[in-house]
Amino acid sequence: MIYPVVVPSLGATGGDIVLVEWLAELGKWIQKGTPLFVVQTDKADMEVEAFRDGYLREIVVAAGATVSASDIVAHLADSADEPLHTAGAGASNAALVSPVRQYSSATYRSLDSMDGLFDAYRQMVLIRRFEDHLYELFLQGLVPGTLHQYQGQEAVAVGVCAALNPEDAVFSTHRPVGHFIAKGCPLRSIAAELWGKATGCAGGKGGQMHLTDMQIGAFPSNAIVGANIPIATGAALAFRLSKTDRVAVSFFGDGAANIGAFHEGINLAAVKNAPVIFVCENNQYAASTHISLTTRVCQIAERAKAYGIPGYTVDGMDVLAVSRSARQAVSRARAGDGPTLLEFLTYRYAGHSRGDPGGYRTKEELLLWRQQDPVARCREVLTRQYNVGEQELQLVDKESQDMVEEAVAFARSSPDPSPDEVRTAVFASGAGK
Amino acid sequence: MSARLLSMAEALRDAMRLAMRQNAAVFLLGQDIGISGGFGGGFTVTLGLSDEFGHDRVMDTPISETAIVGAAVGAAMVGMRPIAEMQYGDFVFCAMDQVINQAAKMRYMSNGRVSVPMVLRLPVGASGRGAQHGQCTEALFMHTPGLKVVCPSTPYDAKGLLLAAIRDDDPVIFLEHKRLYGAKGGRKEKTSLEITDPVPEEEYEIPLGSVAVRRPGSDVTILANMLMVHRALAAAAALEREGISAEVIDLRSLVPLDLDTLARSAHKTSRVLIAEEDNLTGGWGAEVAARLTHEVFYSLDRPIARVAAPDTPLPCAAVLEEEYVPSVQRIVQTARELMN
Repeated sequence: MIYPVVVPSLGATGGDIVLVEWLAELGKWIQKGTPLFVVQTDKADMEVEAFRDGYLREIVVAAGATVSASDIVAHLADSADEPLHTAGAGASNAALVSPVRQYSSATYRSLDSMDGLFDAYRQMVLIRRFEDHLYELFLQGLVPGTLHQYQGQEAVAVGVCAALNPEDAVFSTHRPVGHFIAKGCPLRSIAAELWGKATGCAGGKGGQMHLTDMQIGAFPSNAIVGANIPIATGAALAFRLSKTDRVAVSFFGDGAANIGAFHEGINLAAVKNAPVIFVCENNQYAASTHISLTTRVCQIAERAKAYGIPGYTVDGMDVLAVSRSARQAVSRARAGDGPTLLEFLTYRYAGHSRGDPGGYRTKEELLLWRQQDPVARCREVLTRQYNVGEQELQLVDKESQDMVEEAVAFARSSPDPSPDEVRTAVFASGAGK
Repeated sequence: MSARLLSMAEALRDAMRLAMRQNAAVFLLGQDIGISGGFGGGFTVTLGLSDEFGHDRVMDTPISETAIVGAAVGAAMVGMRPIAEMQYGDFVFCAMDQVINQAAKMRYMSNGRVSVPMVLRLPVGASGRGAQHGQCTEALFMHTPGLKVVCPSTPYDAKGLLLAAIRDDDPVIFLEHKRLYGAKGGRKEKTSLEITDPVPEEEYEIPLGSVAVRRPGSDVTILANMLMVHRALAAAAALEREGISAEVIDLRSLVPLDLDTLARSAHKTSRVLIAEEDNLTGGWGAEVAARLTHEVFYSLDRPIARVAAPDTPLPCAAVLEEEYVPSVQRIVQTARELMN
């Protein structure tokens, strides 16, 4: 993988930041914590350290240049020869930076503070507990309809939605639960929709794959792979036409990268500079088919080159990395500079859908990804960096479990929709031809 | 009210211009619709609109039907009133997911929490271009819950229906027959009818769901839409010379459908003939015939007759196309048979 190195926000008072000197050598293996470069602000000089191990594959900004916070100045890579992924113009708009740097918060929830990160952690745990509980109930035959589960991918939904304002629009998929929790949809209304109840967010008409919550900008989630890519583009064009600074987010998987709507939607967004963020959750599998069997270009972000927009591959198991890259893409979109394709490398622990045991994957592979578990990694940062205690963390687990059980109990005890409801909401006037 | 003689292309343009002046949420998107020095869409309907409204609101797109319709769906869901154009109606098949799975189903899937107030304009009808540039597609959309289907036959109706469609809160499939666009204001279709109407400068709406009795009669009811309305009227004139009084009803709105008016006419005449350019099997006429039969079965003298295109793709050669598209003569002949 390739990791952009960016200029941290240094709390400067507005004066120039100059990248004074490179301390690390191009092409060399750099250990986490090794000083990479020196920046000078109006306050002080400061060494910026490597936030992780990697080869220093590219130096984007030469010594002596004036830079801004969040500018990409270099790329680290896991290997000495993998292709650099950064595509197109606007290379200053990705971010994957050391979590020790502080960012100021705006209306979005910055995860670069204990409170922000703790909130993100709570959401991730809630998604995990909810999905796990659903699976347990499914095994007992207690869940009607289908399930497409999100365990393993929590950092993507939570990290991306943290970069959004409430009025920003998200367009989700057949696997929507994580996105909806992260955007703020009440758990009860999700659960009740899964159980097909009148109290569900779509009154039972939608089901697991079609959640809606217009209060929080979560548009009907879409079970046609890739279909929301042009739709999100259209919403973004509308935001621009009506002179708001809202942005739209399209979530989709690696499988969607091979459907025509991906090409048409991203190309249109690119050529019109639509304020939209394309979020590819690359969990490596389109249902049971591994990505290597469906495309020669397994790094989806590389496709951004074809559209002349920035594309970045980011660790999707790291909620901080996700939120920072999303924030950059959102800033770019709000500034009128157009769309970004963000690819988050992630993994779905569960099968594709209800009843899929995932026999096409090895235990070793699953274990490898579970070692990168986004919830555990976030927990580790909270413990190590913010000294959050075990008791507090256990309380989150307990609160989440309580919320999940309460929501499911609400769902299961809610009334069914009236059979007459089948004929309503076909047209604005109600039903019928 | 002041009125001018306008072709259908001009009347449609007039409707869009008025709607765009009144409501900033209205915008157009499609291929070649606003290019400066271009031709205003395949049939000049949007000619000049980008001069007044700019290229953001008269948005030229790549050749990407899925993206055109998809973007219209997305824009409509966040409160705009987009008018998307397919250069030829046949091209909508590239975007059918966005029409059928997205535009049509969004309101229902969200239990009414989302609206998709968009118009999708489709130039349809045989015009010497062959199988992939002339299909009449209304029945496919009529079959789909959640879509309204409108198909004007006159310039006056075109303006009023388009204004109503733009203001409607549901997705409207708006079919425009290429031979009815007319000659003024741009390129003329070779086989175009020379139809103009006095069209008021002011705004007016023709309600979606209305049909129009174009000619009253007592012996046989002819139900038709778009080009077939004009052939039905010509047929009715010929039939009158034979002493047969035909009532011609224009189904300018297929969804919603004013079945009551059709049933009243059928009760009166006891004979019904349906003329459509769509293929016979599963055409709109099949549905209308089934519903009418249910309503007026005991009033009918004869089974409802259908004059439709054969169940073949649309051929190109003029002589073949003439055989394919129902002619005045076929309508006359079928009406005569109903009278025997």
